[in-house]
Amino acid sequence: MNYLDLAMNAAETLGAEYADIRIQKTIDQVIYLQNLSLKHTSNDVQQGYGIRVFKNGAWGFAHSNVFSDEAVLATVKKAYETAILSAEVNKDKKLSLAPERSYLATYKTPIKIDPFNVPLTEKIDLLLEVNRVMLAYEGIKQARSLLIMHKDEKLFANTLGTRLDLSTHFINPMITAVAVTEDDSQSRTFDEGGRAIGWEWILELDLINIAKQIAEEALIKVKADTLGEEQRRALILDPNHLGLTMHESVGHATELDRVLGWEADYAGVSFATPEKLNNYQYGSELINFVGDNTLEGGLATLGFDDDGVPGQKWYIIKDGILKEYGSTRDTALEIGLNSSRGCNRATYYFNQPINRIPNLYLLPGTKPLTPGELIADTEDGVYIQGRGSYSIDHHRINFQFGGDFFWEIKNGKLLRPLKKVIYKSYNPEFWNSCDAICDERFWRPFGVVNCGKGQPSQTARMTHGSAPARFRNIRVGGSQ
Amino acid sequence: MNSEKIVKYIQTNCKADDWSLNISEDDSHETRFAQNSITQHISGATKEISLSVSFDGRKGSCSVNQDNEESLAYLLKTAEDIAKLAPVDPEFVPSEGKKDIPEVDNCDPETKALQPKQLVDIVQTSINEAKKFGATVSGLTEKHIRSDGLFTKNGFAGEFEYSDFGHSMTLRKEEVETKVSYEAKKFADFNLKDLCDKLQHQATTLAVKQNFEPQKIAVILRPVALQELLWFMGWMMDRRQSDEGFTPFTDKIGKPFFGDKFSWYSTMQQPQLLSLPYSSDGIISEEIPWIEKGILKNLPVSRYWAKKINSKPSSAYNMYIPGEGYTEEEMMKMVPRGLIVNTFWYIRSVDTKAGEFTGTTRDGVWYFEDGKIKYAVNNLRFNEIPHDATRRIISTGKSELASPSSLLPAMLIDNFNFVDRTTF
Repeated sequence: MNYLDLAMNAAETLGAEYADIRIQKTIDQVIYLQNLSLKHTSNDVQQGYGIRVFKNGAWGFAHSNVFSDEAVLATVKKAYETAILSAEVNKDKKLSLAPERSYLATYKTPIKIDPFNVPLTEKIDLLLEVNRVMLAYEGIKQARSLLIMHKDEKLFANTLGTRLDLSTHFINPMITAVAVTEDDSQSRTFDEGGRAIGWEWILELDLINIAKQIAEEALIKVKADTLGEEQRRALILDPNHLGLTMHESVGHATELDRVLGWEADYAGVSFATPEKLNNYQYGSELINFVGDNTLEGGLATLGFDDDGVPGQKWYIIKDGILKEYGSTRDTALEIGLNSSRGCNRATYYFNQPINRIPNLYLLPGTKPLTPGELIADTEDGVYIQGRGSYSIDHHRINFQFGGDFFWEIKNGKLLRPLKKVIYKSYNPEFWNSCDAICDERFWRPFGVVNCGKGQPSQTARMTHGSAPARFRNIRVGGSQ
Repeated sequence: MNSEKIVKYIQTNCKADDWSLNISEDDSHETRFAQNSITQHISGATKEISLSVSFDGRKGSCSVNQDNEESLAYLLKTAEDIAKLAPVDPEFVPSEGKKDIPEVDNCDPETKALQPKQLVDIVQTSINEAKKFGATVSGLTEKHIRSDGLFTKNGFAGEFEYSDFGHSMTLRKEEVETKVSYEAKKFADFNLKDLCDKLQHQATTLAVKQNFEPQKIAVILRPVALQELLWFMGWMMDRRQSDEGFTPFTDKIGKPFFGDKFSWYSTMQQPQLLSLPYSSDGIISEEIPWIEKGILKNLPVSRYWAKKINSKPSSAYNMYIPGEGYTEEEMMKMVPRGLIVNTFWYIRSVDTKAGEFTGTTRDGVWYFEDGKIKYAVNNLRFNEIPHDATRRIISTGKSELASPSSLLPAMLIDNFNFVDRTTF
């Protein structure tokens, strides 16, 4: 008998109302260069299984890295006993699971060139050349390049009869140039986030030319002016900036576990509570956010979540109105939904899955509009590219964001580069101030690979996306 | 396979010029509760075996989480293959050699003996107390027994074990949210009744709330809030980063860069503090003043940079900040008006070179005037430069444990820079 069947039979024999097992092998290859020093080259493997048992309205989860019949049976027993302990506490307030059917399925990230098959020397040589190019610029004092390649192989089974074979990949390049003058130091980073794609993306990117641009912009930035006093201005935000803004102010705010208060002790709760569904003006009528765990290249496009629920696509905000959340089987029924949206994910085999942000993106504008036209239509504003400082309160209302590269806009033109720009806003002011979004030709994804949440903390991945968009009358100024 | 056998395997089979082997384990039990129910409950042990090897300054590394012979063979071959393909690292330093490793008592037998049922009983009591108070409670109760071993070809051999027990509670009652937490190596010092009483006292005093606009104002930062902010500053305190001009500490060693009421040490002399005997690359923990009476004495130095600047490597393995011993009541009388901040949230760097950070308050902010708490206020956002803020310290409290690695006092700081407010 294989371990999947062994575990599920044992859980049912013990009396589990529901159980699942996730056998998971995760491999990360990380290459990091600082200047011409190869600081880190590694291949890291995490392999084991996690077993969840649901009994009397409570979870128990146990994990092990030992593969034998005895160890699997012992882990099932530990998970069951842990659930029984939990259930004693949950007598007055039991959890319940939304209904789900069984599936027999496989899913593989579609990749053309497996990054793990690309010779290591080719990867290192590329990053060395990237750093050499940046260091060749006078004034660039530090060059950093990072390449993360990741693959997950999962076998999943549950007592509903589901059996899944999932194999997913992502790749994430990032390069940074740091310029130093006598009185300042500023960095500029190329960061489009991660993508569920193969090495072919790296070949398309032309990192050498990007390195030149990054180094030149770092030198411009370190000598740039600051903006001075905070004033109400327009903001035009690039997709590689807006990705994080939507992540923090929409993505986390619409995770159902936060809405229910399940993250109250650490990651925080949400202002977007259920009575606001279908009536709350979260954003202007241009604002349409879609949860989409079927998005091509999306980091949360995994076939199924760790509840065994398939990837789905749904509106979270439609025409500016809050419509729904990202949910899991154990949160959905709490607000009367009849099924999960498939957002339960764990990072490694030893993590119990939790409610995570799906791939979540802002639909592009429906009228033809280029970034150039958007800038030409803006009298007084700041154009922000890339991500910088970001901080939001634990109800996901008040936030302050920086960026990586800034241009002042005056009378429809990019007037001068800026540094140390920050903007402050809050929900729902910010998304209601959006008055223009470029069209679908300019829509770009932005993959977040390091979304921290949970106790114990886990790091999840998801993809956001947008076209450049304008926000009016936002408080924008310089840091201290 | 135990550590001894793993080391033996590497010693016997590794053909590299140099190697360094880290073995870490964590046997843990974590009970997570929210809104008066257990929502997650996790039990298990993890292991990580990491090997770094080098041939003529070419480095490679690999890690696995299983200790059977097949996994170790993969570990060794992968690390060696990577190293053979890598270019020579111009910043290569050989692994650490034999060292005298300080003996530190980091593992508490009582913590080690904790059973899952005891952890669940703590959760049950916490929920019962919250219910009696008409509130909901969320938190995490956890126990970890961790071990770390470092072994190198050059003769470093060290192993240590440490314990960790934590219990946090966030209470919500109508609009009030507040939190208390305990985390230490010793379970013996944990007092659930005191913690529940403190939580309910905080909630009671937060019930009357008024709007408060952002401004520069005196603050009493409680130890948990302060340690969060100071650790962010601490991560910027790297000797190389400073020597190369990236941080505010460039050319500041030996100078009075901080306020004269501010000192920061890493020490093994405070028994409450977790003090790991060496870092992951073998830097031995020693008594070290980073900041003494406002003067920047030392910055942590990596092994490579220490060799380059002819210095001694060092790491900030914990935070001990001595205090003057004033109580909150005494500090409130030292300024006409001010705020007490329970914790901070989502602190991030705004300007690395300036050393500026942003973040918000969380879990309770109280306004005081004429030496007394008047009412609670909404949460606020700050943009502040911590090293600059230390120059505005008016007084400090008694050092207390804010986390296993942080022993520090509350501080009364003038003109703390709040720049925005939340709506709650």
